[in-house]
This record gives sequence, structure tokens and C-alpha cells, in this order.
Amino acid sequence: MIGAGVLSATGREPTDGEVVAQVLAGDAEAFGIVIRRYEAGLLRYATRMLGYPDAAADAVAEGLVRAYRHLATCRDPGRLKSWLYRIVGNRCRSHLARRSTSDLSLDDAPPIADPQDSEAAAERAEQLAQVERALDRLSPEKREAFLLKHVEGMSYEEMAAVTGERIPTLKMRVHRARAALLEALKEYE
Amino acid sequence: MTARRLVAFLLAASSPLAAQSGFARLAGRVPPPALSAIDSILVAAHREGLPTEPLIEKAFEGGAKGVAPDKIVLAVSTSAGQLRVARALLREAGESQPTDPAEVTAVAAALSRGLSPELVGELTAVLPGEPTGPALHAVADLVGHRFAEDSSVDLIVAAAQSGLRGLRFLDVAAAAVQELQRGRSHAAALAHVKSLLPNVPPPPRPAPATVSRARRPQPGPDHP
Amino acid sequence: MMHIDPQLQRVLDGDLPSDDLTPLQREQSAALQQAARLLAEAPVGSVLARVMAEVRRPPLRLGQRVAQWLTERHAVTIAVRPIWSLALAAALAAIAVIPARGPGPQLGEQEGIAQFVGRFPGARSVEVVGSFTDWRPGAVVLRDDDHDGIWRATIVLPVGEHEYMFVVDGERWVADPLAGRYVDDGFGRQNALLFVRPLAR
Repeated sequence: MIGAGVLSATGREPTDGEVVAQVLAGDAEAFGIVIRRYEAGLLRYATRMLGYPDAAADAVAEGLVRAYRHLATCRDPGRLKSWLYRIVGNRCRSHLARRSTSDLSLDDAPPIADPQDSEAAAERAEQLAQVERALDRLSPEKREAFLLKHVEGMSYEEMAAVTGERIPTLKMRVHRARAALLEALKEYE
Repeated sequence: MTARRLVAFLLAASSPLAAQSGFARLAGRVPPPALSAIDSILVAAHREGLPTEPLIEKAFEGGAKGVAPDKIVLAVSTSAGQLRVARALLREAGESQPTDPAEVTAVAAALSRGLSPELVGELTAVLPGEPTGPALHAVADLVGHRFAEDSSVDLIVAAAQSGLRGLRFLDVAAAAVQELQRGRSHAAALAHVKSLLPNVPPPPRPAPATVSRARRPQPGPDHP
Repeated sequence: MMHIDPQLQRVLDGDLPSDDLTPLQREQSAALQQAARLLAEAPVGSVLARVMAEVRRPPLRLGQRVAQWLTERHAVTIAVRPIWSLALAAALAAIAVIPARGPGPQLGEQEGIAQFVGRFPGARSVEVVGSFTDWRPGAVVLRDDDHDGIWRATIVLPVGEHEYMFVVDGERWVADPLAGRYVDDGFGRQNALLFVRPLAR
């Protein structure tokens, strides 16, 4: 099992700091703990930033490989989560910068609800699609600010660590993102 | 001249020498209109037995940041005032005289982070003879993350009573902040960390092999 | 654009309780929370296998490492003490950099390692100026070798407390957002505060 040495030695779930120390000491397998701990949130964040699961998986995988290779530069392993989101956020921004509208292919298009799905599931899928369309209308900065605050549940301090922006700037972005999202949702009603 | 008079003479003579040394260092780093006023502050601080290096550094900082001369003077004067307050607090808490300059500087820095003087006294009383800088900064770290000041002090006092000292207080504060980031409430985070004392995990150290080596520059003729 | 009352913004920021919201504010809050709940549904899939395959890739052999090192640029590490800063400015070009694959630096008992990281996309230069450089610019320069906007430096510092700021493009003074600990500089800005620990051997 990945990272078994760390688990059995402490008898409890290892902290991020302990896992980082283990990896830096040469136990590459322990990095699997980091992936398992954070990939769901990172995939969710990247999917909402980029709009497409495949591109999001690329961004998260690239980001995690980069994090492994530069783990020694993580100044505060107690803030590993913020650091990972920062790296993946950069990957998402790179993807967004490279993307043009002509790059969209049918394979990348969001999945269409399967008619076999239950009515409740179909309705939920439609609601999610509406929210995703509304989110897509926000600028990348506002979209990121809303996602980090309300979906990833970060404090403004954590968001500052992820984005490199000052807290007052982030608050302004989140406030405007909320208003813009409500405006867009109203149009889709 | 008797030995006692000789010592007194040398002590008196060293004051202007110390001031001249500070003035010489300030020239070229601080706007000329500020030099005389800052030098006066340094001389007065030296006479009072306050550490002057933090004041010189503050002047350098103002010069580097391109601050107006009058604002540099004000900042240096304010810093001198903070050092006075810090030393007075340490003396009230029973620190021996003369108070350690490094400790005065550390306490002044912690006060400048917004901690109350009463808190300084409480922590110093719990750690007699020990440097209080790290403990104060640990409390300031917690307060910065919206832990209540009295609860933060309570945690660090508990850490001290469990045998922790020095930079380990910062580990205690970091552990509480980490619990907060994991979703615990402030109260639950403090309680959890208190239950771990003294076995709060230290942060991992950077692997030495990942740090590049460099040949250190040789000190110049003006410095030891 | 849709207007959100500042009071609601503060409630959503967690600064105020939600007891006194108007019906409209409750409706807006509910809509945003519903949107967040929908967006929080985690997508299916995992990158674990893909990432671990890269992690497990065998390290390069010596010849390949040498070839790679010759074509890469490396982060500069310098030992800085305030009393050396004047000499350092003159001697910077004489610093030799050895690739980080041998034993680590021989640090004194009262020295530790400090790592600085800052995100400044589009910046031409980023440096650290602080108490450990005597507040002299030019002593500690960060690097962004892969041009991703992330600037880094790792240096040896005396154990203890240090204040510093980043200086971007030689003129913009910025508090390190990753520091987590700040002190008023007395000039209307905030210095980051760093505690360096001894690197025990």
C-alpha cells in the first residue's frame, strides 16, 4: 500500500508535513498519499476552471508531477494544500491561455444527459449545466475566486497563498463573482 | 586615575564613539536631511542602554524603500519608543538587569504585531530566564488567524508548562492553524493541539541535498 | 449587474451572522449556495496511476544527469550575513555554484535554510530585500527558470527572526503573500516575518 510505512509508524493518518518529509527522505511511494488526499478537490477545481474533464485531468496530473519534482521548494508543508492548488491553478491558466474557440471538438464537449437517467438525475444534470454555463461567463479571475471560496471552501488567507493576490483584491473579486453569477443564473431561468 | 574613574571615563567616552559608528554607517544609506535627527535618537538610545542596531536597520530600511526623511525619523523614533516599552515590560516581569538586548528587540517586534503589554508580562512570568520572543510570535500567529488572544496565550502557556521552549512554540501555533484549515472550529483546534502537548509534530526540514552550495564571499576590510 | 447588498457579502464572507437577512438576501444566498453545492460534486476519475508512473520513472544515469545539468540553469544559493552584504555586492560574480547532487552545504550550528517563492507573472526581476541583507537590494535574487511566473530562491540564513519584502522589477515593494506572518514596517507597509530554524545534522 502506498505510504504504508508512514501510516504504521505513527498509528494515525500522517499530516501533510510528515508525508512531505517522508517523500523528501526518499520514499517516492508516499507521494501517493498526497495524490489520494487532494486529487478529488483538484480535479473538481480544474474541471470548473477549464470546463472539460479531460483537460482538467491533464492540468491536475501535470501539476502533481511538477509538485513532486519541486517538493523541496514547498516552504511550509503545513500549507501543502494551498501550494498544490497554486500549481494546478497555474496549469489551468496556461491551458486557458493556449486554448482558442476553434480548439473545441466534439470529444471535448460536455456530456449530454443519458435519456436512461432518472428524471431527478436529469433535472440535476440540467441545473448543473446551467450553473456551469453561468460560471463560464465569468472572467477566469472571478471564476477562480468563486471556486476557491465557495466550492473549495478556502479562507481568504488560503486563497492569497494560492493566487499570490492580496486579500482585499480577492474579496473584491469574490464579491463581483457572486453578483455576476447571480446575474447569469437569472438569465438562464 | 583610579581604576573606577578609568572605567567610568571609558564608559563615557564610548558613547560618542558608538554614535559616530552609527552615523558613519547611516551616511549614504539614509537621506542627508534625516541623518542628524536619527543620530540624536541613536545617541540617546545608546545612553539609555537600549539596543541601537534595530534602529539603524530601521533607518536603512527607510532609505532603501525611498521613504521621505521626516517619515524615516518618525519610524526610528517610534522604534526607539517600542524598545523602551519592551524593556520596561521585561523589567516589570522580573528580568534581571541589564536586560538582554536581543530579548528587548524580540519583545518589541512582537508588540509591533499588536499584542497587548499585559500578555507580554504574563508570558514572561511563565518563562523566567527564557527568551520570550518565540512565545510571543506564536501567540501573534494565532491571533492573526482570529484565535482569541486569551485562548492563544492559554495554549502557549500550556505548551511551556509541558516543557516546550523556543521555536517549538511556533510549531504549536502552526499545528493549531493547520487544524483550523482542516475544518475544525477555533475552539476545537486549540483543544485538539492542547491534547497533543508536548508531542506536537515539528515541521519537516528541507533535505540538505536539494540546496545548492556556494562559496561564501570573503568579508570586506570594513567588517570583521 | 445584479446588486448584492454589502451586508450579504459580509455574511457570505463569514464576517457576520446570517440572522438578519431580508427575504431577497436569503433568496440570493440560497441561489449562490445551491450553485456551489452543484459545482462541488466531484467529477469521476483519478490521476493517481498516471502521476505515480512519472514518480516511479527511474532516475537518470550519471552521464544523462551531467548532460541535463549542462543544459539547465540552476537556482543560486548564497550564504548571506548582514555584515557581509557590502562585500557581497562586489563579490557576487565570484560565487561558485555546485549542482545539488552531492552532500549539502556545511551549515553552522546557528544557521538554517530559507526558501522564498513568489508568483509574479510578467516580472523582469524579483529579489528579496530584508534585515538579512541590511536592507540592501541586489543581494538575494530569485529565479524563474521555466518562465511560469513562479520565482524562487533558497539561501542560508542565521537562525532566528528576519523581516523582508520582495522587490519586483527593481521598484515595486511587495509583502510575501505566502509568509503568513507580518509586521508593520512603520512606513505604511507590512514586512513579512520569517523564523529560520537550525538545520540539525
